[in-house]
Amino acid sequence: MNETNAGFGTEVDQGVSERPSDVVRILLGQFGHLKRIIAGMGLSASDAEDVLQDVAIQALKQPGKWRSEEEGVRWLIKVTVNGCLMEHRRRRSFRRRASEIMKRWSETRGGSKGPGEKAIAAEELEMVREGLRELDGSLLTPMVLRYFCDLSSTEIGQMLELKPATVRSRLREARMTLAERLIERGVGP
Amino acid sequence: MQKSCEDISEMLVDYVDGELPPDKSSEVAEHLPECERCRKTVEALQRSLELAGVIWKDGLEEAKGIQVPVPVKARRVRWSRYAAVAAALMLVVSSAIVWRVVVSSKEKEPTVAEIEREISESASAAQLLAVTDLLAQYRDAGAIAQRQYQYIVERYPGTAAAAEAKLRIH
Repeated sequence: MNETNAGFGTEVDQGVSERPSDVVRILLGQFGHLKRIIAGMGLSASDAEDVLQDVAIQALKQPGKWRSEEEGVRWLIKVTVNGCLMEHRRRRSFRRRASEIMKRWSETRGGSKGPGEKAIAAEELEMVREGLRELDGSLLTPMVLRYFCDLSSTEIGQMLELKPATVRSRLREARMTLAERLIERGVGP
Repeated sequence: MQKSCEDISEMLVDYVDGELPPDKSSEVAEHLPECERCRKTVEALQRSLELAGVIWKDGLEEAKGIQVPVPVKARRVRWSRYAAVAAALMLVVSSAIVWRVVVSSKEKEPTVAEIEREISESASAAQLLAVTDLLAQYRDAGAIAQRQYQYIVERYPGTAAAAEAKLRIH
């Protein structure tokens, strides 16, 4: 994937001071993106709903705290990520089994794979699912933001208050951790 | 000087992501045909990201259906009232669940997971109902609140909050 922004904060109007009604507008405008982050962090629908409600409540509680829309978007993403990380630490993320995911996946692909190939893919998928579940939050977050939300290392660094080089280093570690799982089990692509 | 396999392996993630400068990328490309280990790592890096994408997209499909009520016109929210309503609902819901678990235990023993899920759903429904009640007080938000009540009834059937929401639907 390219280092392109997939719409996170693309309507950002820098330098505009925020009013109470702006909070609602920014919040509504970002819900789709926040859902994407939550999905990437592996939360179930009910946990995702709780996190989103909590984010909405926190945002509405303190109107006037964002100096610009850009800051508001960053704040929303940060609070959402923190909510997801709490669930991840409680081992409540990535709970759907690979077999369930495979079933839905193959349905959408029209069942184009043969039974043998499906079994290998299910085993690989389960390994990656376990790998994501066991990844430390400090590695999972940049990975989701980079590869699922298409944010650049610089943007991720701004949101997580990290240097871009640190983000890249964490991405490398996360990717190698997942890849090693596949290599160790001897399952080839 | 030719780089060692260890040096090359440190560049593989950036190589796969296309983030290496051309000269480094060429070094890796030249090394790969000679080294099975690095080739396998490259394949595993690509494959694992592909499969992670399948997992993420599956989660996104589920997350798309989530609805979260937000006041259409911002005004001062009485959070003490929200907390009181939520606490009262939680108390009623928890009591009902405990009562149901105790009384119905002779008929069928619920599993811990079932109880946990029921409590979690009841809590989510109660929280959503409390927020929707607040939302209903906003001018012009009647239609949204009505949709939210309908959502609670459909998403959390059998909960006390769903029964309450049903009463609020016109």
